[in-house]
Amino acid sequence: MTQATRRAALMGLGASTLATPALNAQALTKMRVSVIPVLDVAPLHAAIAQGYFAAEGIEIDTSTTAGGATGLPGLIAGQFRAVFSNGVSTMLGVREGQEFKFISGASRATQGPPDILAVLVRKDSGIRSGKDLEGKRIASNTRNNIVWLRGMAWVEKTGGDWRKVNTVEIPFPQMADALIGGRVDAVISSEPFVAAALETGQIERIGWPMSETQPGCTNAHYVGMGPDLARNGEIFDRWARALHKGVDWVNERLGQPALLELISNFSRVPMERMRNVALPAYAKNVTAAEIDELVGTMQRYGLTGRYPASVSLIHKTAQ
Amino acid sequence: MRPSSGLWLVLALMALWEVSARLHWVDSPNWPPLSTVVVALFHDIASGELPPLIGGTLWRMGAGLAAGSIAGVVVGLAFCLAPVTRLLLGPAVELLRPIPVPAIIPPLVLFLGLDDPMKITVVALTAFFPVLTNTMQGVAAVEAEAVQMGRTFGVGPLRRAAFIVLPATAPYALAGVRVALGLSLVVAVVAEMIAGEAGIGHYLVMMQFAGRAPEMYATIILLAVLGYALNRGFVAMERRAIHWWFALGRQADG
Repeated sequence: MTQATRRAALMGLGASTLATPALNAQALTKMRVSVIPVLDVAPLHAAIAQGYFAAEGIEIDTSTTAGGATGLPGLIAGQFRAVFSNGVSTMLGVREGQEFKFISGASRATQGPPDILAVLVRKDSGIRSGKDLEGKRIASNTRNNIVWLRGMAWVEKTGGDWRKVNTVEIPFPQMADALIGGRVDAVISSEPFVAAALETGQIERIGWPMSETQPGCTNAHYVGMGPDLARNGEIFDRWARALHKGVDWVNERLGQPALLELISNFSRVPMERMRNVALPAYAKNVTAAEIDELVGTMQRYGLTGRYPASVSLIHKTAQ
Repeated sequence: MRPSSGLWLVLALMALWEVSARLHWVDSPNWPPLSTVVVALFHDIASGELPPLIGGTLWRMGAGLAAGSIAGVVVGLAFCLAPVTRLLLGPAVELLRPIPVPAIIPPLVLFLGLDDPMKITVVALTAFFPVLTNTMQGVAAVEAEAVQMGRTFGVGPLRRAAFIVLPATAPYALAGVRVALGLSLVVAVVAEMIAGEAGIGHYLVMMQFAGRAPEMYATIILLAVLGYALNRGFVAMERRAIHWWFALGRQADG
């Protein structure tokens, strides 16, 4: 054996021993997912913590944004493969011709109170219904999103005219201060901010915008881009399998400390507060019926336009 | 160092903060006493959570500041010494200058993504303009005799720029960098607040959403201290780098 061939043989040996871990590392698909620091994304964090994504050969890199502001635009720009988004923002994008597809359910309203949205007022305000809110100021975190939409539905349901209610935008963390300070008359808040607001003792809850208007209604979903799904369907199959195992993990632990600890860990909400927080119903699928209901409600509250058939927007991983 | 009256004001404000929260003059879970905030600050530093975040933010800030400052000095010299560059680039620069940086973050996200390249670019853009303006001011203030003497001795234009104009401009450019330094920290944190999961900015947003007011204010105090320390450090460095300028006694005391 000449020097050169011996070296080649050694290199071959070295390469073969190195090959296994190297291949494994290559097989890990990196996926960047845009999330919001809210309770609804618990299954994603459960699936990461339990190693379900790793078992499917996927490495998840979450990117937290404080609102929907960079989520969907980031998806269009190709910064994210999947985005956690509320249904209204997604459907408004679809209406404008974006190729969004639902790749998994995320959260729905529960069948009855408590649910994760609440209408809050000052204790001494005397406001009890949507009728009382006519001519007053009510805040949602963003206009034209699911919080606003369900809030307007609640105003109608309780005898008010939503057109006569002035809506303003206030980020969730500042809602309690704005309410106590008298800058608004009511807020449509979301957990865990509801629990934090009630802790002040100066605020009370007068309504449940989701479960009182449309029990079990759709709230938020994971969204992908049509062309990406068509090209890389197999990756999203694995992604959804892992995520849905996370949904099972969460649903098996509802009301248990293990789940509250998980949520407290990723959201940093203190454990003491987590015990008073209402949770959504964690969903795996998206149905055409719930999207039809959502679009119907959007049309009713001024978000009119032509929306494509709901069934065409639901990728097979969410069926 | 004897405590100056300015220090007493800071201490008085801190005492007012503590008392207003303890006695519920401001009654909100978002107004914790200063002592609670300081405890939270030391806790998160000791637990090892904050130091890498501070490091990350300072690195992004430093990289952006360096890139923006170098570009500012080079473009500033070019604008003054080779007027054709000013004709070509001047209008573009003047149009870009007034744009608030947060307004251009969405297109930057589109082209550069959410990670360090985007954040460093944002900082560099912010640092560029004060350095550019000050450099141009500095070139205008270079003594004509010095340049003429260089010409008389047959020093070429590039060497004149590097060895006569640039050193004479340095005090002005460094003053620009000092302005840019403060802005850079602000903008680095803002960029981190918008997207991605890195640095002090992201920590601040997360604590805000977790309803953890003490940690939120701890971050703000940390940023104030960081900004102050960076400025003091820079001034000390400036005095060493251009001691001749201070020896001339032309600067305002500060």
